[in-house]
Amino acid sequence: MQRISLAHGEGGELTHQLIQEVFIQSFGHSEQTQFDSAILPIPSQTIAITTDSYVVKPIFFPGGNIGKLAITGTVNDLAVSGAIPHVITAGFMIEEGFPIKNLKEIVHSMAGEAEKSGVNIVAGDTKVVEKGSVDGLFINTTGIGVIQEEHRLKPEMVQEGDSVIVSGTIGDHGIAILSARQELGLLTDVKSDCASLNHLIHELLAEIKGIRIMRDPTRGGLATTLVELCEDFHFTVEIDEASVPVRKDVQGACDILGYDPLYLANEGKVVMIVDSNDKQKALDILKNHELGRNASVIGQITSSHAQSGKLLLKTAVGTTRRLNRLSGQILPRIC
Amino acid sequence: MYKAIKIIVKGKVQGVGFRPFIYALSKKYHFNGTVQNNLDGVIILAEGEEGQLEKMLDEIKRYPPKLAKINEVTIHQIPLAQYKEFTIIPSQENGRSIPWIPSDAAICENCLEEMKDPSNRRFQYPFINCTQCGPRYTIINRLPYDRSNTTMKVFTMCHDCQVEYENPTNRRHHAQPICCSVCGPTVTLYNQRGESLAENQSAIIQTVNLIKQGKIVAIKGIGGFHLACDAYQEKVVDQLRLKKKRPQKPLAIMAKSLEVVRKLCFISSYEEDILTSSEMPIVILQRKSEGILPSNISPGLSTIGVMLPYTPLHHLLFENKKLECIIMTSANPSGLPILYRDDHLEYLQNICDYILTHNRKINFPIDDSVVQYDGKNTIFVRRARGFFPVPRKTTSNVDQIIALGGNQKNTFSVGKKNSIVMSSHIGDLENEEMIDSFKKQLHHYQAFLGVKEVNVAVDKHPLYASTSIVKELDCNIISIQHHHAHHVSCMEDNGFNEPCLGIILDGTGYGEDGNIWGFEFLYGDAKSFERLAHLKYTPLPGGEKAVKEPWRNAVGMLLYYWPQEGKELCMKLFPERLKEINMMEQMIVHQMNTPMAGTCGRLFDAISAILGICSISTYEGEAAIKLSDYMNKTVLESTDEKYSFHIKTNTPNLLQLDLSPMIYQIIQDKLQQQSITAIIQKFHMTLVSCGIQVVSKLLRNRPELNRTVVLSGGSFQNVFLASEIQKGLEKEGFNVYTHRNVPCNDGGLSLGQIIIAAHQL
Ligand SMILES: [Fe+3]
Ligand SMILES: [Mg+2]
Ligand SMILES: [Zn+2]
Ligand SMILES: [Zn+2]
Repeated sequence: MQRISLAHGEGGELTHQLIQEVFIQSFGHSEQTQFDSAILPIPSQTIAITTDSYVVKPIFFPGGNIGKLAITGTVNDLAVSGAIPHVITAGFMIEEGFPIKNLKEIVHSMAGEAEKSGVNIVAGDTKVVEKGSVDGLFINTTGIGVIQEEHRLKPEMVQEGDSVIVSGTIGDHGIAILSARQELGLLTDVKSDCASLNHLIHELLAEIKGIRIMRDPTRGGLATTLVELCEDFHFTVEIDEASVPVRKDVQGACDILGYDPLYLANEGKVVMIVDSNDKQKALDILKNHELGRNASVIGQITSSHAQSGKLLLKTAVGTTRRLNRLSGQILPRIC
Repeated sequence: MYKAIKIIVKGKVQGVGFRPFIYALSKKYHFNGTVQNNLDGVIILAEGEEGQLEKMLDEIKRYPPKLAKINEVTIHQIPLAQYKEFTIIPSQENGRSIPWIPSDAAICENCLEEMKDPSNRRFQYPFINCTQCGPRYTIINRLPYDRSNTTMKVFTMCHDCQVEYENPTNRRHHAQPICCSVCGPTVTLYNQRGESLAENQSAIIQTVNLIKQGKIVAIKGIGGFHLACDAYQEKVVDQLRLKKKRPQKPLAIMAKSLEVVRKLCFISSYEEDILTSSEMPIVILQRKSEGILPSNISPGLSTIGVMLPYTPLHHLLFENKKLECIIMTSANPSGLPILYRDDHLEYLQNICDYILTHNRKINFPIDDSVVQYDGKNTIFVRRARGFFPVPRKTTSNVDQIIALGGNQKNTFSVGKKNSIVMSSHIGDLENEEMIDSFKKQLHHYQAFLGVKEVNVAVDKHPLYASTSIVKELDCNIISIQHHHAHHVSCMEDNGFNEPCLGIILDGTGYGEDGNIWGFEFLYGDAKSFERLAHLKYTPLPGGEKAVKEPWRNAVGMLLYYWPQEGKELCMKLFPERLKEINMMEQMIVHQMNTPMAGTCGRLFDAISAILGICSISTYEGEAAIKLSDYMNKTVLESTDEKYSFHIKTNTPNLLQLDLSPMIYQIIQDKLQQQSITAIIQKFHMTLVSCGIQVVSKLLRNRPELNRTVVLSGGSFQNVFLASEIQKGLEKEGFNVYTHRNVPCNDGGLSLGQIIIAAHQL
């Protein structure tokens, strides 16, 4: 059997085989899974919980695949909330006819990424759907993390002068995905930045008391993420265009497509607001870490009161542009 | 017979020396009574011999002060009150009209003469002014227009000035900015480090020397700082372009005198009149090709923006024999508002070598106006200094409505009673600095006029700055389609309000179907409109990027019309962009960041790129401007030749213009190395023919439509297009209106918006 058939989803022998050969082989069989639910102790008063569905196209892309992304995405959502990722569950929706070889590769990289980030995959589910019902494979993951009281984020402490730091080049994932879509031809060979940030973030949280808030700028990119922060917590951020790290080839691809890297997805970056007294220390820790080599202070909080709430970009030509959320509409305004 | 009359004079009659003028008439024609300002205008109570009074009225109507513009004179007979003398009495703050904010005016001949007269106490004084000239709008904090409400308040008049100010027979009677070297503002020259180098006369002499030495000096004028340098020195012009980050956009020049202008440019007597009017705008003139002006002042263009010295300080600069012509461009890095405050000095230091400033504060900045003469009328390209804020009467009920205008070349309009006050040109609302400047000026007008933000009209474009601004206000929002606003703007500009046809040739505007419109045939009035025909949509690969890079437009059209052959043509036309062309192909197929647009501006862009004139645009409209300039460069032989096109009936009520045959033929002509000028001429003839044929066809289908056509939209700045379409339609028996007082570009949008809002409320 080389491809998934509807029978793989019927709950019978074939299902059992699939689970044994594909999932157990990679994920192992932990003792928590002996019941219909995973039963596990949580070493904390406070937990963080997050869920996400992964429908990325193409399923395999330079720097990763949908499986790796499903783990890093959930791990990062927990980590930027100040939690230590603990366990993950995974649900698979597989299109009839999907190659088993590909499924194995995906599951394998999930296991590898889970191990790297130190989380256990404790429960799972598999459904097979008719051809055309999903595009290849969708994965849903839920993650639970534990919060250590001393690492709790304090967005209410944000004040004028705080620094905004991003952990590396932006837009890599967005452009990698676009390039991987064969239709565009080879745009660049840039790789997705898809990576689990929890160890790096843990180190930052352990060392630096002045971290106010963190986010992972995924869908909608750095700009949309910052706009949401500004609006939710009523502060105004001014970022300096020249100090936002962007790879040359990512910028080049953006120039051709007419995209702005500030709005492209990232899957291995964290943006944080820190007390400006801690900015150098945070930068040092980041730059010492493989995943934070290109970290940069990109701006600061310029005001923080009820009327604040804008994201401003100081452009290379010296003007200040207000940035809004990623807009679904692509409409030139130049008349 | 001895009788008494009450005369009310409305229009631009305040701050222009009207009361002293009446006072003088009272002596001439022997009548007694009073004159005073109120919010309606000037009110005169006159008692005298009937014949004398009639002569007085005649003189008011025929020879008013130079700056005055009389809209209306009403006369009532009143009972005699037996006045013993004629007096000017204090302003009254009532009346039913709206307050008139006076405009800034160029120095008048009398003041100029005095300034040059060594025996005059204002000899060489750079702030000399009178009731006929000087700053107004830019120094006013609030109304009524009295010295204490201007930035001149901080200068206490000396005895001599006070006497002139109070003497009703003096030409400086109630000249609010009156001053002299004893009591008034002073000039200072600073270097880049902010160190003061010289003051007054010596500062001016040093400035001239510096300019001659090839330096860039920021000079504070009426409405803000200009960057000035010697226009004859190519090298310093390049430096200025670098500093201002403005690689190609034409720079305006200020010439010493009309003689110098005649030496440098072709100029008609009509253009001379505009150039020397009290508004003193920048006039776009044809420059002489064999002239001394370096071509980097207006690269790729045969025209140049010219103005004459309009402040006393300008005249003093040119007094020195050495200077003939200087670049005078607003002192701001591209895209930012004009700098006008002295605390902007730090910023100025980065874009100039020296700063010549003065201590008369500018309360509100204002750009220079830009006009062009089309052979028949003055066309406004930018309505600013001198031309505003002039209220416009309207028959629509615009009271308490505000219209925020477009995103570029923004102006806003505020409605008060039966008048509309349009703001001056503010600029492109691309950044926060401009948006702040916009908001500040809007609040200023609202305060002047007492208009609250209750009903606010905005463009339908979801991404315009005004769309976010209006969301922050607690008001009733009226969203208006871009080209409908252009259409009604032109109707209102001509005082026309019956439903009519409109040909709107424009850049890009948000269409009601979510596509980009800009080549529209509309029918309607302020209440509603129908779209009767439009240019077929083609892809804009890269969205806004395609507007900045016209070649993308061309590629979008070619790949869309002829997926196979089009690509080969693209590769022939743009051989250096092979990789990008492949990418565009995929972007179009997969509709990635590729909106669909049918606009005249983008069509010009595409043709400009196809012909190799401009494939990347460094300023707005560059590709189209440089293309249409070919129509001025040489004397064209008249031709009727045109390219082919189709008019298709897409749905029963909507015609679609397909210009693909024309584009194909243009490429063939270009590849066969036909003369570019001939191609461009044929292209223009084709568009003229399109306009006329579409309108004729529409009328055949719908004979009940009104045979009146308005022409609006930014593409009508193309004088040839506007005048030929007008001529052609008139030949077919249509009444055709073009813009008269407001620009046809987005600078005129707010006028259309406010009228539409008035009818849709
Ligand atoms: Fe427009
Ligand atoms: Mg998520
Ligand atoms: Zn004067
Ligand atoms: Zn004085």
